[in-house]
Amino acid sequence: MKPTGLLFFPAFDWAISPTHPEREERLLYTRDQLFEEGIMDLPGIKEYKPRLAEPIDIAAVHFSVPDLDAHLLEAHFVAAGSTLVIADAFMKGEIKNGFAIIRPPGHHAMSVTHGNRGFCNINNEAIMIEYLRYHYGLKKIAVIDTDVHHGDGTQEIYWDDPDVLYISFHQDGRTLYPGSGFVDEAGGPLAYGTTINVPLMPKTTDEGIHYVIDNLVLPLLEEFKPDLVINSAGQDNHYTDPLADMRFTAQGYATLNHKLAPDIAVLEGGYSVETALPYINMGIIMAMAGLDYSNLREPDYARENFKESPRNLELIKRIVEVQLDRFRTRQEEIEKNRRSKGEFFSEYRRIFYDTDYIHEEQQVRLRNCPHCCGFRMIESSAQQRNGKYYRVMCISVPINCCPTCREQAISHYQDLTRSSRYDYVYLQDRIERQYRVCQPDLEREDIIK
Amino acid sequence: MLIGIDVGGTFTDGVLFNGRDIVKTIKQPTDNDNLQRVILDVLDDLLAAVPAQASVERIVLSTTLVTNLLATGRGERTALILIPGYGLPHSAYHLSPDTFFLRGAIDFRGREIEALAKDEVISLAKHLIQLGIKRAAVAGKFSNRNRSHEDQVAHLLKQEYPDLEVTLSCDISNRLNFPRRAATTYFTAMVSPEWQHFVNEVEKALQQKGLKAEVHILKADGGTLPLPVSRKYPCETIFSGPAASTMGALALTMDQQNSLVIDVGGTTSDLALLVEGVPLHASKGARLMGQYTHVDAVSVRSIAIGGDSPLTFAEGELKILPERHGPAACFGGETATVTDAFNYRLALNQGDINRSREYLQQIADLANMKLEDLCDSIITQVVTTLTETTREMFKEWENEPAYKVWEIVHRRHFTLDRVVGIGAAAYCIIPRVAESLGVQPFIHRYSDVANALGAAVARPTLSVYLHLDTERSTCAIEPGGVVEKRSDISKFQLEDARKLAVDYLYAMGKARGMDDYLDDYKVFLEEQFNMIRGWSRTGRIFDVGVQIAPGLIQAYQGVEQ
Repeated sequence: MKPTGLLFFPAFDWAISPTHPEREERLLYTRDQLFEEGIMDLPGIKEYKPRLAEPIDIAAVHFSVPDLDAHLLEAHFVAAGSTLVIADAFMKGEIKNGFAIIRPPGHHAMSVTHGNRGFCNINNEAIMIEYLRYHYGLKKIAVIDTDVHHGDGTQEIYWDDPDVLYISFHQDGRTLYPGSGFVDEAGGPLAYGTTINVPLMPKTTDEGIHYVIDNLVLPLLEEFKPDLVINSAGQDNHYTDPLADMRFTAQGYATLNHKLAPDIAVLEGGYSVETALPYINMGIIMAMAGLDYSNLREPDYARENFKESPRNLELIKRIVEVQLDRFRTRQEEIEKNRRSKGEFFSEYRRIFYDTDYIHEEQQVRLRNCPHCCGFRMIESSAQQRNGKYYRVMCISVPINCCPTCREQAISHYQDLTRSSRYDYVYLQDRIERQYRVCQPDLEREDIIK
Repeated sequence: MLIGIDVGGTFTDGVLFNGRDIVKTIKQPTDNDNLQRVILDVLDDLLAAVPAQASVERIVLSTTLVTNLLATGRGERTALILIPGYGLPHSAYHLSPDTFFLRGAIDFRGREIEALAKDEVISLAKHLIQLGIKRAAVAGKFSNRNRSHEDQVAHLLKQEYPDLEVTLSCDISNRLNFPRRAATTYFTAMVSPEWQHFVNEVEKALQQKGLKAEVHILKADGGTLPLPVSRKYPCETIFSGPAASTMGALALTMDQQNSLVIDVGGTTSDLALLVEGVPLHASKGARLMGQYTHVDAVSVRSIAIGGDSPLTFAEGELKILPERHGPAACFGGETATVTDAFNYRLALNQGDINRSREYLQQIADLANMKLEDLCDSIITQVVTTLTETTREMFKEWENEPAYKVWEIVHRRHFTLDRVVGIGAAAYCIIPRVAESLGVQPFIHRYSDVANALGAAVARPTLSVYLHLDTERSTCAIEPGGVVEKRSDISKFQLEDARKLAVDYLYAMGKARGMDDYLDDYKVFLEEQFNMIRGWSRTGRIFDVGVQIAPGLIQAYQGVEQ
């Protein structure tokens, strides 16, 4: 039996600021618990060491404005690189599954990044997904986001990609950051139905969440048949989390991972550093390694406190029903969208960066392609934290793009490099793994390696 | 004058060292059933060359006693009493056939989560009386942060069963890792009576001989421990053999280079690394009876090829056998060995080279090979195995987990400077291994007794580890298992924590007679965490480690090449 891969990277020398939830102390007690349990010594566990991600790995996902150095610290390269270590170990068959307990987190980071959103600068899972698709030829990937916050970054990155199924359950956006993830957010016109959101009422318990797992997540995975399942493993649904208001337990998390059987899990949020994280991390590891986790519980756990209200359960059942139907009828919806007029779908949006207090404006255009899911052009402008204002154009060629779309995307890029409408023009060509940055005013072009 | 004695599986080596030279060397077969006899015989032979008993200043013993006791199942029957609290299932702990579980739990901050069930302890004591078990090892999860449960168990057990010998895990090791702490404590309790007996006998014999020298035991980490202190930590003495040869390599080279140390024994070769002149330690601690322990040990890889490994041709294949049949043919043995192949092919003129040829020819005839081809094939096999193992060791070291951004950005990289050959057969084999690794070989005229020399001149080592929690005003200290309340640490900064650790190091070091080395301490661990509750700081947690790392005693200034 192959072991479970574990990459524990607590970044004991990195914090957003000394008192920020994302600080050195975050995984200290998890370290204590894991080390005291001797989890790394078990024959069923193989520990891995992080490595630095390369700029090219990050450019496969992000348009960092103006460049990678502007927002990324070494800690980000290590966290992203850690997911790649686990990905390699999994694909080479060294491990049966793997868990990257890493920080800083990533699921709020979107394609275009002007700064830090929701404690995230770059999206660790998306970087891993693009790495796996390019290097190992994986096609269909499912991301189950079990963080209490809606993973709006991951959702945005794969909004128009029908080959990445993104399912998120989270505390209702009307009551929690980032204020999104509603039932009707279901994916772009050509990738409709592969974004599935399940907003849950505050104080939802193990019972409610497991209803979603059993009746929505597992059936969708069965039907979607992904090549790889990723758990975007936030731990802030826990009943002691200081930033959220749910009633999930360590046992609940362990059972969830037992049922879900993710190939790779990556830590996201979770800020109850003492009363939740040590126990949840133990639970996830034990479940993934196939160990008996019945002797695991929080010190203050009392079973009688975790009863689901009938009214909430009824609500959850209705959402599950709607989402099942949406997923199953998605092809018809996509065909309908394809028949609409105009070469491009267009959308305007504003994005708020809570950590860095930035307001970004985007005009997104997606080619309505009869053969593939189209290529994306994102026009973005924002005044960054240091006061500098940028207006940029980001062109993205997804890995499952058809040759016509790719040619058009490149030709758009070339045209724009000769005009001076934008401070920066980016080309992200995932097929050829070619990432270009052009500053038309300076007549300068860089290739990210 | 200094004396070093290294008990190996096959032979026991002893050296008498004076000034800048080895005055006398002894090699005797090891009698595994009577180790202290062997040690005292070798000691007598060495003392015969000493003009006056009083001139012997230091004696260091490296012995396999504890390893042998455990490996042959001669340790005493011991109850393992665990207080594992919540987490892994009880089935994860299968160390002893006499394992007992108690209710009670402590968390990582040292807070009691669940009280100890005293009635359970009392009925367990009665049960142990019935079973006739006379020794018990007690280990609780997070007892390194709060030892009160272990103390209570000891108290209650002794109250019901006064003759029971109780060993507590927090006294044996105060570091994180409950299963390793439990294993180390269990093995300590098992071998303790035999070890006390051994120490008594050695002390008695030395007294009879009128020797006033300080006596040390070589530890697995390459440092020494005063004989009286070893009574409390017998498990520290395991795997001292590889530690002896690694320290021997350091004693012969005396510099800060990166060396691969290969101790070519009769049937095995042990590989270790000196990183800038310091032996590389195993990151997970020594592994004993298949269990990881809290014993710091030199990281050693053993492979089943030695100078005396016999050669054979069977089932159409040329093979190097793992079991020894006797010495190499060139030294009067009756089988061609690895040494013979190197000796003949490289014209080394070891012993009787004609015998090497004669016995190799017999195998060559069987294999229908040319004699030269046969030797080349063996040499390639040996060199390839050793170089591959070496590369694996480098890679493993470079890939050790790291938990800070700094450590990942400043990636570890190991550049080998040379290969140091230890053991009698090293002379034949090591130059070719060094060549294949692209570095210089280092062979010394004392390579064959480097292990005993290494023991003789290794200095004492000591690691002190402090865990401070200023919010709870607690201070936990390793070694010694002290967990105390300290009201004076509330305003501590990292410098204060470091100073406190150094103060403890000096106090403990002085008690162990280590005065000469204390100024040479190194900080090996320094972590501080602000505890934030709400948006303000409520305390700090510090983890600080200081140590006297393995090295050579000041009196030793090298040996003539």
